[in-house]
Amino acid sequence: MSPRREVIVASPRPRDAGSSVGQPASTLVRGGDFLFVSGLAAVDPHSGERVRGTTAGETRQILANLKQLLEAAGSSLDKVVKVNVLLHSMLEAPNMNEVYARFFPEPPPARTVCGARLPDGAKVIIECTALIQ
Amino acid sequence: MTENLPRSVIEPKNPRLNVSRNANLPHVPGIRVGPYIFLSGMGPIDPETGERNHGPIAEQVRTTLANMQHMLESAGSSLERVVRVHVVLADLADMPDMERVYREFFPIDPPARTAWSMQLRFGNGCEIECVALAT
Repeated sequence: MSPRREVIVASPRPRDAGSSVGQPASTLVRGGDFLFVSGLAAVDPHSGERVRGTTAGETRQILANLKQLLEAAGSSLDKVVKVNVLLHSMLEAPNMNEVYARFFPEPPPARTVCGARLPDGAKVIIECTALIQ
Repeated sequence: MTENLPRSVIEPKNPRLNVSRNANLPHVPGIRVGPYIFLSGMGPIDPETGERNHGPIAEQVRTTLANMQHMLESAGSSLERVVRVHVVLADLADMPDMERVYREFFPIDPPARTAWSMQLRFGNGCEIECVALAT
């Protein structure tokens, strides 16, 4: 039996700067028994505008949005199996962790954190893989 | 759910694209576990020569994604079955050029994706990996 692939949440951004078509990524895709969430930058869920704050502030916004996204898809933060966190500076890891620890119930998912150069001036990008429900 | 899933190695039909074997690197091009396909990070290898293509970034991305398509098709899957992609660029300024080419390969219902920039090996301008479903 062929496992199901389904785009559950399409890109939230109607346009990329300088481009006439939408961002070429879906926000949340189901593949078989898993949900794959694109790297999320901090966005105000009401206006859709990017939120530019501290690393802690952006982390809080991203994880709040991630929680909503997963729950709307029938999953939740406690079904997350793997998280990748990209930071604009590894010196900010403690600030990210302090917020991060408050979101995930025990035991938290597997996780990798790395420092990288991030698009659009983001301080944090977070992506994850979760189980459906 | 996954206790008895068979695990097998994915190899490209074009042996020049078996970079890990050709360069004696300690990984395989991909692994299939049950219906899930995990590909290693791929770089811009010329499928005719097996050499690295270090041309303009748009060309590197096109070569890499074409090779990814070949790898998936070798495994009985396809670009349409990709669920998640990582795109890593050596230079963040190459993001718009990457996006332009990327759209050609994933025109509708694209997979989840994370794109960022960090140091890459071998002078590559891009490295791309994915998770896909078997058909």
